[in-house]
Amino acid sequence: MADTDQSGAAAPGENILVAEEVTKVFPGVVANDSVNVAIRRAEIHCLLGENGAGKTTLADILYGVYQPDEGRVLLEGEPLELNSPRDAIEAGIGMVHQHFELVPPMSVIENVVIGTQAKQWLDLTEARRRLEEFFADYDVEIDPDAEVGRLSVGEQQWVEIFKTLYFGVEILILDEPTAVLTPQGIDELFRILRRMRDEGLTIILITHKLKEVMDLSDRVTVLRRGKVVGTVDTADVDQRDLARMMVGREVLMQADKAASNVGEPVLEVEEIHLESDTGRGSLDGLSITVGSGEIVGVAGVSGNGQNALFDAVVGVRHPETGSIRITGQDTTESAPHRIATLGVASVPADRIAQGLMMDFSVKENLVLGNQRERQFSRAGILNRGQIDAFAAESIDTYEIKTPSASQITRTLSGGNLQKIIMARELSGQPQLIVAHQPTRGLDIAATEYVRRRLIQERDRGAGVLLMSEDLDEIFQLSDRIAVIYDGRIVAVTEPDATTLEQIGMHMAGASDTDRGSQ
Amino acid sequence: MSEQVADAPQDSPRPDDHEAGAGRDPLSMLFQPGAWRLERRLHTRPVYELYATLIALAITAVIIGLLVIIVGVSPLDAFASLYEGAFGNRESALETLVQATPLILTGLCAAIAFRAGVWNIGGQGQFIAGAIGTWWVYDTMPGLPAPVLFVAMFAGAAVFGAVWATVASVLLVRYGTNEILTTVMLNFVIDSGLSWLLSGPWQANDTPYSQTERMVESTFLPRFFDDSRLHLGFALALVMVAVVHFLVRRTTLGFELRAIGVNKQAASYKGVSVGAAIIAVMAISGALAGLAGAGELLGLHHRINFEFGGQAVGFTGIIVALVARLHPAGVIVVAVAFAGLINGATQMQVGTGIPAALVDVIEGVALVLVLLAAVACRYRLRKIAHHHG
Repeated sequence: MADTDQSGAAAPGENILVAEEVTKVFPGVVANDSVNVAIRRAEIHCLLGENGAGKTTLADILYGVYQPDEGRVLLEGEPLELNSPRDAIEAGIGMVHQHFELVPPMSVIENVVIGTQAKQWLDLTEARRRLEEFFADYDVEIDPDAEVGRLSVGEQQWVEIFKTLYFGVEILILDEPTAVLTPQGIDELFRILRRMRDEGLTIILITHKLKEVMDLSDRVTVLRRGKVVGTVDTADVDQRDLARMMVGREVLMQADKAASNVGEPVLEVEEIHLESDTGRGSLDGLSITVGSGEIVGVAGVSGNGQNALFDAVVGVRHPETGSIRITGQDTTESAPHRIATLGVASVPADRIAQGLMMDFSVKENLVLGNQRERQFSRAGILNRGQIDAFAAESIDTYEIKTPSASQITRTLSGGNLQKIIMARELSGQPQLIVAHQPTRGLDIAATEYVRRRLIQERDRGAGVLLMSEDLDEIFQLSDRIAVIYDGRIVAVTEPDATTLEQIGMHMAGASDTDRGSQ
Repeated sequence: MSEQVADAPQDSPRPDDHEAGAGRDPLSMLFQPGAWRLERRLHTRPVYELYATLIALAITAVIIGLLVIIVGVSPLDAFASLYEGAFGNRESALETLVQATPLILTGLCAAIAFRAGVWNIGGQGQFIAGAIGTWWVYDTMPGLPAPVLFVAMFAGAAVFGAVWATVASVLLVRYGTNEILTTVMLNFVIDSGLSWLLSGPWQANDTPYSQTERMVESTFLPRFFDDSRLHLGFALALVMVAVVHFLVRRTTLGFELRAIGVNKQAASYKGVSVGAAIIAVMAISGALAGLAGAGELLGLHHRINFEFGGQAVGFTGIIVALVARLHPAGVIVVAVAFAGLINGATQMQVGTGIPAALVDVIEGVALVLVLLAAVACRYRLRKIAHHHG
């Protein structure tokens, strides 16, 4: 690589971007530990690893967001000092983050040219020409004058990608780009990424999904706990190999569960309408039933009413019309604390915003919501002995890794945060469990644990309403699958009676092949 | 034409990149982009916050010292006379505790509300409401035996303070009206209300002044010593510190009000009625300020006149609470320190000619620096390693 041609027009296959012995330490965490990765020109290179494995940190170093504590980055054999993303873009490296950096009220074209205009006045003709050319070339149907806030997340992702390419980058880093897409959207993205690679673009794709690695990449680097486990040619491995590299042991790819034994309905939602007044979505005549002893999985692209359904069932918002019954009792207008007393456990999607008090101690979070139960207080005075005993037992049973029960919750890892919520919510032997994205962001071990616990609760006789954007999870856990689209349940089926593609079709809101494009 | 500084570091060639920065002055290193970076700490230890607060107070002392030098007085003389007036002898120390009494209660008033994330800036108005409530009980229930009357007057003060705060909390819960605005405005409203009472229904018959009659001596709060004005209200304030501490740490209500202070959304998902908790905490907050009003009236002034509340203890209580970082026990320390400043400032003015208004500057500077310190200890400064060639 030292003898790279000065013109830069090196042949495909040579190393273009190299991270050499990169170490990055955050307080208490070694995010990257002597990481060596070599990205070749015009390849699709996946960075695979569980959450917390250090893939995003590595990408952020390549993109200049962080500076390595030790080690260095080489571009075409030359050391590269990146103090900011601006430096990276100038060096030809662009990145699309998981959370888009778009200005919603501005048009597509305006979003694309932000940061590129050196002049005092705005000249969009050149940008419009290139944008239209690009979209036509890749068969992406987006109106350059559309307001970005009104586009679907998939379309917004295209705007992000083109915005990055507009800077003229040669290396494109994508952080979990498929998280927001339907299966069809993923296919389309992959088709175009392959073509871009063939045209000479180098693509680094961060993911924790094995299937995507297998489908798309030329080579894959697996990270575990901040270290590189290895870089392999995708053609030489299968999913099981990669899983083993990721986790460091054999993984059960399928959750074992017995046949369900469905009893009386524990949740009956009938024709509820809910206006979107809080930015958490709306419902438009949604009906769904969950019986005791079954897991009903709700599949859907995020933003189709999952939050609103969660809020309505736990009682944070009340529907304008329709009714909700829990264990036979009408709870349409009930307050959350009353619904909780009916034996409803809730695992919210955003555990930090909705599930926990990050500045409280672990033990306080373990009793949060149950503080008025006779077990934990009498006449308004907390029973500290009982709380301590319960906390010690929960920490033990749920294997919550914390220095002590008095530890401030903020300092715990994501998996342990979720274990606190599970311990709290499952403590009262609930009749109904409403779980929204219960494994998002968790590592494989914690994910397995959460799934196993949900199945155990089902076997005990609880009804589980499971909302997830992870279709594998839906298929693994559900006894019945419902698809939510635009505030309604558009299909109900059983996992054995359907395919991923059919569910994906329903998720996209199409009864057949048409996917929203005119 | 810009003149080049002869030996500007950035102009000097870099003879050895491995040693970059070794010969340069630390300040230019500090401001070199990318050389240092502020990073957020995962969590702070309480001891950092204590250190940061102490450092902030030390910097406050330095700034005040510089101000004093500008006035033309030796800072040592100024601080010595300030200390002398505040804690220099038994008499002044006890008088400092007299001044601290209402500040402890108004400090608690602000601290408990702020803990719940409710910005009650109306301690001053609730303090006056408390005095009005005390007088109302005194005026309308003359026949009560002494012990019962005391209880009734304090209860009246607490209820009036609570009701005045509840006006704001109901507006907040029902209509989402910003409580900062409403509590501030309610301060003005009750000021006007008091003026009306003092020049109308409650005006003493024998004077042209806007003031009530003097209360009968049997309603005076007992004093601890013959030679000091320190009265039972101080003990009451200390008891309320313990009560508030217990309430916040050991009761379900305290648990819930801390919860809404930390994360309202999660609290409501977990079944805490946020509205009810806000109403409750504001009522308690207002009651504490009301008790301060009763203590001042029954312990010191024994009549309400237009100067009542002129010390603005309700507002100082906000600063006390914030500097104490909302800890009930800290409120005692800060209230006594601020009372010492107020007390010592008079002595300082007499002795050195420095205006007593300097106390307001000290309070303000201390508040800003302590708040900055609280933010600062969430970060750490880190040097970024550079690698060349």
